[in-house]
Amino acid sequence: MVHAGGSLQRWSAPPDVFSQCPSLSGTISPAMIQMFHVTKAYPGDPPVLVDINLDIEKGEFVFLTGPSGAGKSTLLKLMFLAERASRGQVLLAGRNVARLRESGIPFLRRNIGVVFQDFKLLPTRTVAENVGFTLDVLGTPRDEVRDRSLKMLRRVGLEHKADVSPLKLSGGEQQRVSLARALVNDPALLLADEPTGNLDPALTVEIMDLLTDVNARGTTVVVATHDATLIERYQKRTLRLEKGTMVADERGAKAARLMSQSA
Amino acid sequence: MSAPAKLAYFVRTAVGSIVRSPFVHVIAVASLMLSLVGFGVARIARTQLDALVDSLGGEVELTVYLTEDAAPERVTELELALTQRTGGQVHRVSPAEALGRLVTQLGEDGKGLTELSDNPLPWSLEVRLPKAARDAQALAELAKRTRALPFVTGVDYGEEALERLTLIARALEIASLIVFSLVFLTAVIVVSATLQLAIFARREEIEIQKLVGATDRFVRVPFLLEGLLQGVIAAALALAAVYGLVRWLQSGDGGLLAFARLDGKLLVDWPRLSGELFGIGCGLGLLGSFIAVRRFTRV
Repeated sequence: MVHAGGSLQRWSAPPDVFSQCPSLSGTISPAMIQMFHVTKAYPGDPPVLVDINLDIEKGEFVFLTGPSGAGKSTLLKLMFLAERASRGQVLLAGRNVARLRESGIPFLRRNIGVVFQDFKLLPTRTVAENVGFTLDVLGTPRDEVRDRSLKMLRRVGLEHKADVSPLKLSGGEQQRVSLARALVNDPALLLADEPTGNLDPALTVEIMDLLTDVNARGTTVVVATHDATLIERYQKRTLRLEKGTMVADERGAKAARLMSQSA
Repeated sequence: MSAPAKLAYFVRTAVGSIVRSPFVHVIAVASLMLSLVGFGVARIARTQLDALVDSLGGEVELTVYLTEDAAPERVTELELALTQRTGGQVHRVSPAEALGRLVTQLGEDGKGLTELSDNPLPWSLEVRLPKAARDAQALAELAKRTRALPFVTGVDYGEEALERLTLIARALEIASLIVFSLVFLTAVIVVSATLQLAIFARREEIEIQKLVGATDRFVRVPFLLEGLLQGVIAAALALAAVYGLVRWLQSGDGGLLAFARLDGKLLVDWPRLSGELFGIGCGLGLLGSFIAVRRFTRV
């Protein structure tokens, strides 16, 4: 098994890819994600998120934690606009998404990479085609799609698996493919929903090393996880959700302590 | 953003989808093809029927019977008026000619007529009516006015036959409209249903497309192309099937269906029929896919 952290070579993520998006240019805010009194409720059910306030700066690495059902995934969905807030304001790179038209969402999403626990890879396509999917959507010429996909796969240490089906890969490898797909377009923001939830501890470290490396190159990273050992090990800023409410926002060793207490 | 690259991607995706799940597409193409074959056959049948109606209508004549003492100049005036009104040719039939025709028609039975000392038949005018003049209402009016003339004893133009022909033509038009509407509606529903299946089969892909920033249009175009392709393939197959059928009928082995031939030949305007089949095929395919994507690509 290739250790991904070592195989992840340097790449040049632009310091602020959002500036390339016309709808997001001109912002002076250093914040990548801001939420003010955000509540999310589905009709007929108690609210999933209640009065969330948060501020994640560009280039930050943030863990989002809490027990199952605390609202972590919903909070992430608000960040990549799969859901809209019922109340309150969500700002992405200083832009209020409530004012964004439906047709503007795809263009905003091109600056956001998303990784899921279940990888969401297409079994009918090869590994390289899965990675290139992001570029296909942008109308990138086929040859360029192939080139950039292979380069991205090299960075996650899977170039030799480019032409096999994702079904033939291990869980850790599949997650690296999914990460390659999220990163191939150099997003300014990477959101990961339980990216290591299906992986054993060794593979978990592999993926986490990749994520911290991505972050080191300037991409803002938000990782939702309920894995306390991760938080203790990496000692990053940690937001804790419980029953839809933000109960803690700690950094470094304090975050680790908080986790060990609540675990 | 490069348009050719996108177009290439759309075509690849559409063709890929057809290749990956051939079964549902075969059903869609088959149902489209069957409705197009139905249309093609009905279209040809209609052309033959129109020709048949025309050939029957060729015998539509207006006959004006004159009194014995009709003044020649008034008769000439009437001839002129009839020519102008109907655009047809007027033929003056003498009593001798009329008797001769009757004798010929009756054959053996008519022999006695030749022995008559006096010819009982009157002078008459026969107007062979061109197609444009075969309007039942206008002819009734013309007959009424002609009958009113003092030197005219009667007017006959086979009004029942004419009315029946007009009625048949109208009934055919309405029936074909209803049948085609139903057949095409079915085809659209089937195409739409198969594309819903295709969309369902690709829902994961659509979900990921949306996740990585695909616009609605980007997601939908390949499905519309799929519908269009189904239409084109179905039209090509339908054209081949109709051509085969016509060849078979023409060859004389057509058995029971041979009655459809007029003078041993089927009248088919191939360029026009091809245009119609491809036009309708593409239209139905697009419509079906449009309905499917409108409802089912919201992820």
